[in-house]
Amino acid sequence: MDWAALRVSLWLGAGTIAILLPLGVWFGRLLAVREFKGKLLVEALVTVPIVLPPTVLGFYLLVTFGARSPLGQAFEALVGHSLPFSFQGLLFASVIANVPFVVQPIQRGFEAIPSDVRDAAASCGLTPWQRFARIELPLAWPGVLTAAVLTFAHTLGEFGVVLMVGGNLPGQTRTLSVAIYDRMQAFDDRSAGVMAATLLTISVVTLMATTALSRRVNPHRA
Amino acid sequence: MRPILRDAAFTISRRLSKYSSLALIAVWLLGLQDVSLAQRAPTVAAAANLNFALTEIAKQFERDRGMRVDVVFGSSGTLTRQIRDGAPFGMFLAADEEFPNQLTSAGLTRDAGVVYAIGRLVIFAPTGSPLMVDERLDGLSRLLRAGGVTRFAIANPDVAPYGRAAEAVLRKHGLWDAIRSRLVVGDTIAQAAQFSTTGNAVGGLIAYSLVKEPGVADRGRYALIPETDHAPLRQRMVLLKRATPVVEQFYAYMQGAAARTALIRNGYQVPQ
Amino acid sequence: MRDPALSVSLRQSGPIPLDVEFTCHSGEVLAIFGPSGSGKTTILRSIAGLYRPSHASIRSGAETWTDTDTRTFIPPHRRAVGLVFQEYALFPHLTALGNVMTALGHRPRAERHSRAEAMLNLVRLAPQASKRPRDLSGGERQRVALARALAREPAVLLLDEPFSAVDRSGRRRLQNEIEGLRRTLHVPLVLVTHDFEDVVRLASHVLMLQHGRAVACGPISTLMSRPDLPWLREAVGLGSVFDATVTRVHADRGLVELTFGGGMLLAPARNIAANTVVRVRIPAREIVLATSAPTGLSLHNVLAGAVMAVHIDTAFEGVIVQLAVGNSVLLAEVTRDAIGRLGIGVGQRLHVLIKSVSIELQASAANSANEGC
Repeated sequence: MDWAALRVSLWLGAGTIAILLPLGVWFGRLLAVREFKGKLLVEALVTVPIVLPPTVLGFYLLVTFGARSPLGQAFEALVGHSLPFSFQGLLFASVIANVPFVVQPIQRGFEAIPSDVRDAAASCGLTPWQRFARIELPLAWPGVLTAAVLTFAHTLGEFGVVLMVGGNLPGQTRTLSVAIYDRMQAFDDRSAGVMAATLLTISVVTLMATTALSRRVNPHRA
Repeated sequence: MRPILRDAAFTISRRLSKYSSLALIAVWLLGLQDVSLAQRAPTVAAAANLNFALTEIAKQFERDRGMRVDVVFGSSGTLTRQIRDGAPFGMFLAADEEFPNQLTSAGLTRDAGVVYAIGRLVIFAPTGSPLMVDERLDGLSRLLRAGGVTRFAIANPDVAPYGRAAEAVLRKHGLWDAIRSRLVVGDTIAQAAQFSTTGNAVGGLIAYSLVKEPGVADRGRYALIPETDHAPLRQRMVLLKRATPVVEQFYAYMQGAAARTALIRNGYQVPQ
Repeated sequence: MRDPALSVSLRQSGPIPLDVEFTCHSGEVLAIFGPSGSGKTTILRSIAGLYRPSHASIRSGAETWTDTDTRTFIPPHRRAVGLVFQEYALFPHLTALGNVMTALGHRPRAERHSRAEAMLNLVRLAPQASKRPRDLSGGERQRVALARALAREPAVLLLDEPFSAVDRSGRRRLQNEIEGLRRTLHVPLVLVTHDFEDVVRLASHVLMLQHGRAVACGPISTLMSRPDLPWLREAVGLGSVFDATVTRVHADRGLVELTFGGGMLLAPARNIAANTVVRVRIPAREIVLATSAPTGLSLHNVLAGAVMAVHIDTAFEGVIVQLAVGNSVLLAEVTRDAIGRLGIGVGQRLHVLIKSVSIELQASAANSANEGC
C-alpha cells in the first residue's frame, strides 16, 4: 500500500473541492439566476471538460506551462519549480477538469429554487447577502453536496491528466490511481490489488455517505 | 444612518467573498510548495527495463550510504519529454544513448554522461501459450503462418528503445509486416512484459532484465535474442541540471562495484 | 405628517405592456381585477420592487420607491412591503415560525421570536409553529404567508390571488380576516384577483385591467353602475353595488330595512345589528321595470327611477338600462322586446321593482370619497 499516493489523492480531492466549491457556488448561481448575452456559449464552455479527452487538457497544460513555454518559464522563475510535474500542476488540471462537475449540479440546485421564493426573501427585508446565506444556499445545498462528491470521486479516479501532467512523482503527483498502474507495471499485483480495493471502498463509502446525508439535509426532496 | 452602515458592511463582505477564493488558491500554492518540496527524497528517472535492477540498487544504496533516492520508471521517450517540460528529476537513466544525448544538446544535463549497462532482448511465451521460443524466431514465424498469433507484445518503438530493438528484430526476420496488426504495444517495456507474462498475449519481445526476476521467470519460457540482430541497447545515464548532492552520490554509486554486480545479476552487460 | 397613500404610475410598451395609474389610501382596498395574463401580478411586483417597468413612479407616503425620471430605485428589501404570493412562496427549509421570523429583521434580535409567535397567534396558527410548509395544509400555508407579510410591519400590503388555492369555507374565513386587517392595519391594501366575488366582498376600489391597460378604475359603486363594460358582464353578470345602512331590524319577519342614497329597501337577513353598514349587490337581471305603479304584488321594494341611458350591446341578448334612483345609480337588464313594448327612452320615469330575496348583503368593505384612479 502506497500511503503517500493515498495522501496525494485525498489532498488532491480536498484541494480541488476547496478551490472549486466557492467558485462553483458563485458561478453556478450566476448561471441559474441571471440572463445575459452569450450565456449559451458560457454554458457550453463550462461543459467542455466533460466531453474533452483528458489528454487534450494535458496537452494544452504542457504546451502552455511546460518549461519550454514563456509562461512556464515565468512561473518557474516566480515559484521556483515548474507547474507541470508538481502537485500544484495536478491541482490546476484537476480544477479545470472538474469545473462542469461542480458548476452544473450547483446551477441545477439554484435553478430548483422557485423565483417566487427568492423574491419573497427580498420582500421579507433580507439583503442580497442574507438571501444568499439564509435562503438560497440552504435550498441549493443538495446541489452543492453533489458537486463536492462528484468532484472528489472524479479526482480520485482521474488518470490520464495526472500521468501526463504529473509524471508519477512519488509523494507529489503519484495518486492512488497512477500508483495502481505503476505497481502493475512493476509486477507488484499485490500492492495494486490492495490499492484498487482501497479506491473501491472509498468510492462506495463516499457515495453512501452522500445519499444518507442528502436525505437528512433535505428530506422534503426525497 | 444604520442601513447605510449595514449595506457598507455587506458590500465589503461580498467583495471579500469574491477575493477569498483567490486568496485560498494563493495560500494553497504557497503552503503546498513547502510541504511537497522540502522533505522529499530527490527523484531519479529511469527507463522501465531497470524496474527490478534499479529498485534493488537504490535499496542497497540506502543501506550502504544512508541516503535515499526515489525512482520513477517510464519509457525513455516519455521521460525525456517530461524532463524537457520541466519535470524535477535529478538524474536520468535511459535505455539508449539517443534520448539522453537529446537532453545534453538541449543543455539540460551536467555533461554527456556515461554508458552504465548494455541490455538484451528476449522472446517470452507465458505458460500455456502455443508459442515455441527460440533465438531465430522460427517458432513465432510458424505460429504466425498458422494463424495462431492472436496478440504479440512489444514496447512502443517511438518512445521505448527496447521497442525499437524489437521492431528491428522482427524486420530482420521478415515478420514485421505480417505481425503488425497483431501487436499489442506497451507504453513501456515493463507494460509489454506485463502483457506477455499474464497470458494476455501469446508472447512478446521484452527486456532480459525483466524476466530474470524469479516471480516473472516462473510465468513462462524465454530465449535470448542474439545481440547482433539489433542495434546494441547501450544504456546511458546523465546527471541533470538540478541534481542534488545525494543524486551525485547515486550517480557515482551506479558506476561502483556493487551496482555493476547487481546489473550483471539482472541480465545486463556492463562496460569496462 | 405622513401621507399614507400609495400612488402608482406604470407605463411600458413591452415585453409586458402596462399603462396604469392609481392611488390607494390607508384603509382602502384596491382590487386589481382582470383576466389572467392582463398584467395584474406585474403591477404588484413593480410596487414591491421585484420588477422594473421602463417608466414608473411609485410612492409610498413621503418615500419615493421608484421614479424612472430621477433614476430612483429603492431595492425590494428596503421597501416596507408585505407581499403575499399566489403560491405563498414560503421558505421550504424553515418552520412556520422561522418563515415569520425571517421577516422580522427590522426588529431587535431578542424580540423576534416572541413577535413571530404573536403573528402566528394572530392568524391562529400558534400550534403549527414548528411545522415546515410541506406539513401544512393549503389554508395554513396561506396564513403563514399572511403572517410573514404582516410581520414586516408593511406600509403597503399586497395580496396576489390570495384565495386561489383555498377551498370555499377557507375562502370565507380568509376574506373575513383580510376585511378585519383592513380595519385594524390602516395601510393601503392592494389585492389582485380574477374572481369578481373577491372584488364585491372586499374592495373599496376597483381597477379593471385588460392587456396591461386600466379599462376602468374607481370606487366600486361608481364602477358597478356603468353599463358599458361587457366583459364584466361576461365574468359575473352585471349588477349594482353600493353601501347601505341598516335602519331597522324586523327580527320577527326575518327582514332588515336598508337605507341608501336611492331610498329604502327591505331585504332578508339575520344576525345583522341596526346601524351597521352593509354592502348591497343587486344583479341587473333581478330588476323589473314598470311604466305604471303595480299593485297586488308580493314585492316589498318598489322605487321610483329615471332612465339615464339605454345601452344596447349587440353581443348580448339583453339591454342594459341605467337608472337614477334618488342619488344612486342602478342597472337593470331587460329584453329588447321590452324596450320596444314599453317605449323606454332616456329621461323616462319608471317604477323599479326589486325582489327582496335577490338582494345580496355582506358586511361592508371600506368606502371613501377617493376617486383617484
